[in-house]
Amino acid sequence: MDMSESAGLDSHAWGIVGHKWAVRLLQRAITTQSISHAYLFTGPAGVGKMTLALAFAAALLCQEEGAIPCGRCRACRLSAAAHHPDLYVVESEHVGADLKIEQIRELQRQLAVSPVEGRRKVAILNRFEEATASAANALLKTLEEPPAYAVILLLAAEGRLLLPTVVSRCQHINLRPLPADVIRQALVERGLAEPEQAELLAHLSGGRPGWAIRAVKDKGLLQRRAQLLDELHSLIGAPVSARLRYAEAMARDPVVARETLELWLCWWRDVMMVAAGAEASLTNVDRYSLLRAHADRFGFARSAATVEAVLAAADRLERNANPRLTLEVLMLDLPRQ
Amino acid sequence: MTEQALYRKWRPRTFDEVVGQEHVIHTLRHALSSGRIHHAYLFAGPRGTGKTTTARLLAKAVNCLAPEAERPCNRCSICQAVNEGRLLDLIEIDAASNTGVDDVRELRERVGFRPNEARYKVYVIDEVHMLSTSAFNALLKTLEEPPPHAIFVLATTEAHKIPATVISRCQRFNFRRLPLDAIVARLERIVEQEHIQAEREALIAIARQATGSMRDAESLLDQLVSYSAGRLTAAEVHAVLGIGSSEAVCQVVEALVRGDAAQGLSVINTAVEEGVDPRQFACQIVDHLRALLLVQLKSGIIPPYVTEEMLPRLEKQAASSSPRVLVQAVKLFNRAATDAKSSWQPQLPLEMAFVEALLPPEIEAGPTPQPASQRQTRPVSSPPSPSAHPASRPPAPAVVREAEAGYRASSVAPERLQECWPEFLNALRPRNLSLEALMRSCRPLAVEGDVVVLGFDYDFHRGKVEEERNKRDVEDVLSNLLGWRCRIRCVLRQKGQAEQTPITHHQPQPAQAEPPTPTPSSDQEHADDPLIRTAIEDLGAQIIG
Repeated sequence: MDMSESAGLDSHAWGIVGHKWAVRLLQRAITTQSISHAYLFTGPAGVGKMTLALAFAAALLCQEEGAIPCGRCRACRLSAAAHHPDLYVVESEHVGADLKIEQIRELQRQLAVSPVEGRRKVAILNRFEEATASAANALLKTLEEPPAYAVILLLAAEGRLLLPTVVSRCQHINLRPLPADVIRQALVERGLAEPEQAELLAHLSGGRPGWAIRAVKDKGLLQRRAQLLDELHSLIGAPVSARLRYAEAMARDPVVARETLELWLCWWRDVMMVAAGAEASLTNVDRYSLLRAHADRFGFARSAATVEAVLAAADRLERNANPRLTLEVLMLDLPRQ
Repeated sequence: MTEQALYRKWRPRTFDEVVGQEHVIHTLRHALSSGRIHHAYLFAGPRGTGKTTTARLLAKAVNCLAPEAERPCNRCSICQAVNEGRLLDLIEIDAASNTGVDDVRELRERVGFRPNEARYKVYVIDEVHMLSTSAFNALLKTLEEPPPHAIFVLATTEAHKIPATVISRCQRFNFRRLPLDAIVARLERIVEQEHIQAEREALIAIARQATGSMRDAESLLDQLVSYSAGRLTAAEVHAVLGIGSSEAVCQVVEALVRGDAAQGLSVINTAVEEGVDPRQFACQIVDHLRALLLVQLKSGIIPPYVTEEMLPRLEKQAASSSPRVLVQAVKLFNRAATDAKSSWQPQLPLEMAFVEALLPPEIEAGPTPQPASQRQTRPVSSPPSPSAHPASRPPAPAVVREAEAGYRASSVAPERLQECWPEFLNALRPRNLSLEALMRSCRPLAVEGDVVVLGFDYDFHRGKVEEERNKRDVEDVLSNLLGWRCRIRCVLRQKGQAEQTPITHHQPQPAQAEPPTPTPSSDQEHADDPLIRTAIEDLGAQIIG
């Protein structure tokens, strides 16, 4: 069953990579005039939540009738330039910061005033899982009964990170990672990458087109990955003392620690998959021979245990455990030659 | 919205239409016909199970102008006013936005006035658990002895938040989650009357997604009907909700039963590539395993989502698997479906659930002379939640003890300590997360009177645990577990003392006095021991004896 197929190819996909069913759902909501007043888009970072939200907003704000932004009217030009006065994007100051109640109040004040340009106002609340409890609660009333012209789009990594009362007031659209093929094709079609590189990026992206496009623009991303993988490889042969030094260095910067663990998670999952003989969905395709070597050396059970160890460490870091200790414990769990 | 939402349009208008709450309806009807109407009711139950609906039915029934047996008639002026939401004597209050004591005071002032046109004034207070404490207290007196013309219905999804003094003044009815077939039957009726074309499979998928809430099912149907152009198919429902095919689910379980890792992981990967939501898929696997267990235990119950053609395969799977393995797998997949772990790799929890469900037999059946150092890694590295440790897998301490059986000290205490260790870590975790991580890096070495000696590899770690607060936490948790008040002493482990140094029990002697290893025979033998090899390679130890 190919789901992108079963959703049917509508004439226009809003220029969005994949997620055809979601695009169709939103387009039909517009054409049948059954637009809900609140939507929740969830999915991993880079999967396309914001892109979808902006496209939906442009379609809602377009002065022409229909589910597809005309691209010519004043509203569309403003939306494209992200200058539309009836489109609000609210988010925390930076990733990891709080979305504050003052920001919600400010939004509520603005939503209370009728639209400037057209018939609707659209508010996009990015990374809503970062909203403080009071901010989320403050939004409840607006979510339930916003002004008739307002449509609220919440974006979050996962529905379970939000208050259940928030989720139940929204139409929930959960964007799943895309097949590597779809991403590869999109990269090639848009002239962003040569077929060979597109193939690699599509696999590395883990189904997130946003990541793939970022990697095209930011060459450092791939270099950094290569460096981290080399280090991981040398760590396996290193004595405990060297590992602990590495952990100490890693613990100094939470962003680096997170990035490294994420990469290790991918790596050991791949090793586990190779060891199990399920090689269809590997991420690190460019280093297959090394994956194979690790899989042969450590076997299925050992690599699975390592995945769990990395997962457990990531979980502890997320809960604010002492980073250095957590990483040191992980270092002792890493397999060695 | 051009049209009223389905769940509002199809709100039941007679007692007969209410689905799945027979125990409530029966009691209420009996009370009505015998004229024993209570003055305060508490309706408690999950969302979308019919609390507000029943409250409105009650308002109609007590006020209806038709003869008693026919109430509510839906024809008289009162019934019609309620159906259209304009009866002045039915007062619905949203307690979530009127939480304060002033709102209750206002209500109390008005409750004394006689009804406008009906026999009774019916107050429906929704989400009543949101009232503040003083608001609840202000309500108490009115709730106990309201004027004869007033009836209160309190509705809530969280009955445990209601003060006991309020609950004891009400007749309480517990609303249940609706069974799957009841939801499906109701959806079929709606679809038929609305002239919507829909596959039965599609309706079942919607009903499963709704997990017992009729409102969820109806709004989902609403959403999907506007999504589908013509006939609503199961494939469309699956695409929107990210549900996997039952064929894929069946294949994963088959692979699990056969112990075929490659096959199972491939099926999972293909499903995820096709857009299946990993959590959904985990839920589906849990459902399938449940059906499998039901078949295996010859319960005679077949869940409605099991199709005819699936049944023979279920029976085959049931014949070739053990209930213990299945129960274990249910736990693991359930965790994958509900665990709030990081979403870096959405499908990873699902894959790990499958891998873990596979692994225990492999470990048990694996080559026995596996070095202890390798075995040891499992309990250390797996997530510390107790449910993660399958019942069928030998508990970690057993493995450790087995390895040390040769030189275990005679007394009970150290053995008990070793056994307790994973349990100790788990008990420590909620109290102090980083301390738990810290304690993973140390080992209990010995027990000297009431002092437990803990060995650390690094001075930094030892110093951390010795800090006043940490030390107290460790001692508290450990004392609780052991059942006697203990103190801890933290020492640096000597270079030669390798990881798995067994616990020894000393009455008064110092911990490092007696070497715990059996009498050595030759250096070569030492070098073969993985522990000693580790000590030599990593810590720079030398064999001198």
